[in-house]
Amino acid sequence: MNLPSPETLLFALLGISALLVAIIVIRPSLTASREGKVFAFVAFFILPILCGSLAASGHIERSKQTKFCLSCHIMEPYGKSLYVDDPSYIPAAHFQNHRIPVDEACYTCHTDYALYGGVRAKFRGLRHIYIQYLGTAPSPEKIKLYSPYNNRECLHCHLGARSFESNAIHTAMIDSLKSNETSCMTSGCHDVVHNVGEQAKVKFWSPTP
Amino acid sequence: MSMNEVGIERALRTSGILLILGLGVEVVSLLWEKPLAFLLFVGVGGLLTLLGILLYLYSLVPPSRGTET
Repeated sequence: MNLPSPETLLFALLGISALLVAIIVIRPSLTASREGKVFAFVAFFILPILCGSLAASGHIERSKQTKFCLSCHIMEPYGKSLYVDDPSYIPAAHFQNHRIPVDEACYTCHTDYALYGGVRAKFRGLRHIYIQYLGTAPSPEKIKLYSPYNNRECLHCHLGARSFESNAIHTAMIDSLKSNETSCMTSGCHDVVHNVGEQAKVKFWSPTP
Repeated sequence: MSMNEVGIERALRTSGILLILGLGVEVVSLLWEKPLAFLLFVGVGGLLTLLGILLYLYSLVPPSRGTET
């Protein structure tokens, strides 16, 4: 038997909650009895809080999706950079070879950026939305990370992996990499990242449908 | 029906309408797959739902008795 998806259950719960509230709105005299008071408490307090919490969780989960990030016009070149036909482009190589989940590509490597990460990051994310709709957005190539890219994002997959550990350069400087003293990205080793300003010069890979 | 009961029923109705609107906005925000939907969810849906819940809780508070002389 196929169980309904969590999203379907959430919509059903929202509908049931609204229906129960509507019953009390139409017949508020129901709350005169003890049973009616319990019914109202469930409809007016328990269910709305439950619905709000589940919906918030749904929104947060959805914000991790690649298509969510790329739904902002300004992010389009970054989405395009995932299809660059050049293995030296780190995001493209990871995306095209499914080294990261393709549906959550942005979130996997940017766990502390914008709506992801802590409260501060989430406020930055809200600011991004504000700028997107009401402010003046910078050109895509001028977008910068708020803080230098954290090696933690690389090491949480690569640390312990055979291909990483068998590289003498990695093992020689592992402490320096762990402490972010040496950056994986800007130390000259893996410095070709999104490079959206150079897209006119590169070829793109198109996956077979 | 006492004036007190009329007041409670009015508060319940208003609270219920706010909650229905809030839940409706939450549904719309979940169907709309854009970053702005998150702001709609928090800023409008969440606010309406919170106001509805607070008004309901307020309606549960018994009215203070007037000072008898």
